[in-house]
Amino acid sequence: MLPRAVALAGQALDSLTRNKLQTGLALLGVSIGVGALVTSIGLGRGARQAIDAELRAAGANMIVVTSGNYRPQADPQEDSVGDETWLDDIHGPNGDAGPRMVPVHFEDDPTALHDHPTAKQRLGDASAGLGAAATLTRADAAAILREIPGVQHVASGVHENVRVYAGPDEKGPVWFTRLHGTDVDLAVIRTGWVFPYGGFLTEQQVESSEQVIVLGRIVADRLFGSGSNPVGQIVKLWHQAFRVTGVIGTRSWATQPEPGDDQFDAVYVPVTTVHRLLNLSKLNTITLTTTSVGDTTAIAKRIVVLLRRRHHIGENAADDFIVRTQAQQVLGHGLPPQLARLVTGNLSGVDSLTIAKLGVSMERANATMLWLLVGVATVSLVVGGVGLMNLLLLSVTQRTREVGVRMALGARRADVVLQFVAEAVALSVVGGLLGTVIGVFAASGLAQMFHWSIVVSPLIGALGMLAAAVLGVLFGVYPARRAAGIDPIEALRYE
Amino acid sequence: MTIISLRDVKKRYELGGATVHAVRGVSLEIETGEFVTITGPSGSGKSTLMHILGCLDRPTEGQFLLNGKDVSGLARDELAAIRNKQIGFVFQGFNLLPRTTAVENVEVPLLYSRPGVRTSERRRRALAALAAMGLSDRAEHHPNQLSGGQQQRVAIARALVNEPAVILADEPTGNLDTATSIEVMRLLQELRAQRRMTIVLITHEPDIAAYGTRIVAMRDGVVVSDTPNAARAS
Repeated sequence: MLPRAVALAGQALDSLTRNKLQTGLALLGVSIGVGALVTSIGLGRGARQAIDAELRAAGANMIVVTSGNYRPQADPQEDSVGDETWLDDIHGPNGDAGPRMVPVHFEDDPTALHDHPTAKQRLGDASAGLGAAATLTRADAAAILREIPGVQHVASGVHENVRVYAGPDEKGPVWFTRLHGTDVDLAVIRTGWVFPYGGFLTEQQVESSEQVIVLGRIVADRLFGSGSNPVGQIVKLWHQAFRVTGVIGTRSWATQPEPGDDQFDAVYVPVTTVHRLLNLSKLNTITLTTTSVGDTTAIAKRIVVLLRRRHHIGENAADDFIVRTQAQQVLGHGLPPQLARLVTGNLSGVDSLTIAKLGVSMERANATMLWLLVGVATVSLVVGGVGLMNLLLLSVTQRTREVGVRMALGARRADVVLQFVAEAVALSVVGGLLGTVIGVFAASGLAQMFHWSIVVSPLIGALGMLAAAVLGVLFGVYPARRAAGIDPIEALRYE
Repeated sequence: MTIISLRDVKKRYELGGATVHAVRGVSLEIETGEFVTITGPSGSGKSTLMHILGCLDRPTEGQFLLNGKDVSGLARDELAAIRNKQIGFVFQGFNLLPRTTAVENVEVPLLYSRPGVRTSERRRRALAALAAMGLSDRAEHHPNQLSGGQQQRVAIARALVNEPAVILADEPTGNLDTATSIEVMRLLQELRAQRRMTIVLITHEPDIAAYGTRIVAMRDGVVVSDTPNAARAS
């Protein structure tokens, strides 16, 4: 069957050269259809990836542990890992009138170890912020990464407000901004970051507490001029010289650098350098990401348990830290502390309610869009198929006599059908090949022009070819059956 | 041995509401190795008889035994198989496939043979058939590169390639000049003489009909005369 089909197609293909214009037009129709299909699937898959990336960039899988506590004093049993009674913390396990708020802050805690001399004592600069000695340590950070499965990256954080001077002599432009003492993992936690110049801190720089600094886009613009490359320049803060090693920009449309934000209007130095210069030993925050967005809430609960154990907090004592997911932070942002804590406390599962829901609805919108595109592509495929069928019908009419001769020589109806279908498939596969190439070029063109993310894989190419072959069979069968129905006597008389 | 046996074959068909009696009852026995020429004016029914003999058409009434087998009631695809194996057609207009070389044209019947013939075997047998027609050096030529006589010899090679029981030639010299016509008729005579090939040839030209060993004349759908040709019999 197959060798026969190949032999027939070989003879058939050559007859297509008879109608060059029509063959060309039919090919064009098929390739446009296949091209549209390839492009739209590429677009759809690209959009899905982009949404995924945006959700990660927006921090759906991020947890921030902060020193100090505004959390209600909870019955420790309710804080056990993985249970679904988190909300009971707020309402009370027995439907009590409400939570007993126990405001605790390290500054007020007589048992806390104060290791934060004032800035004036340390550096002789009264306008620098107070050292934020706290309850968390780098060992806590290491323990979270080591002991809790599903934690992806962990970064320590010490946060200050600083004046940063451009240049080595404190005479250049100055900018008052946030300083984050951190380590290398922050760059991978902030998936929305790009480095237009230089890069982030290195392991080596953190280990040997070097005086290097990475500038947020806003800071770099303010100190060195918009869009300039400050890598290698010296800036001064706390009267200390820091060498600039990188600039942080954004890749996400969800987060754009703005003065006053905490990411791009900020500078980053090794946490060890901050500890050395400010004579500190603790952290304000530990920032971490989870491998899976869905696990974020459960992991947040395990962190509570782990840190309570590490900090030797008794059963009835309050936490000396707060574990918050990104969504909770967003919700609480800008609210008075009392209100914020009620909001975030009552919506502890809020991460899965907000960003996850946003993700779902974006996915849904994308799916609708994808189906629309595939629908359009299908329509153009059908139009291409009709063009192909038209060409084949023309070809059948022109070759009536040939069909008659073949029948006289012993061709059965199936042989004739096979010949014309083989011809249709050969034609549509050539069209499919062209279409796949067109689709790939169109997709990358669109990607470049509109900065859309588009995924083109060999699988999509194969799908395009398959669609073309199916198209050839579908639209080739009717003309082929017409040919097979020809009466050989009439056909032999046909001029 | 009787290879073709027609028993009171009739053929009617409808044409524009009127019934045309193309063949009104023909009985004919043709033996292996005969060279029968069927003559008659147009409308005598000789072409319709030719279509029935060639298994392109079925008789309305009567029986047609080919090699002892009744083929008058067979289905289309069964008739196709018989055409492929037992009948070699030679047409007036040669009917070679254009843009296809001589040897590929000769291969076409083998393409439709069941069981299938391997590519190499197809090529070998096609070249042998062309060689028998003295066309070995034209195997890779296209029909439009060949003279009329050469094209008809390619067509005869194509008719022979599957070793059929009978060759049916429908006005094979109609498109040829006299000299070429004589050459083609001699070829057919040689086939009969050397291979004991049975040949049925339709013509309206008396001098072409005279090449047969037996001349059948038709008029108005019936055989009006059926005479051996003493000059050609051997």
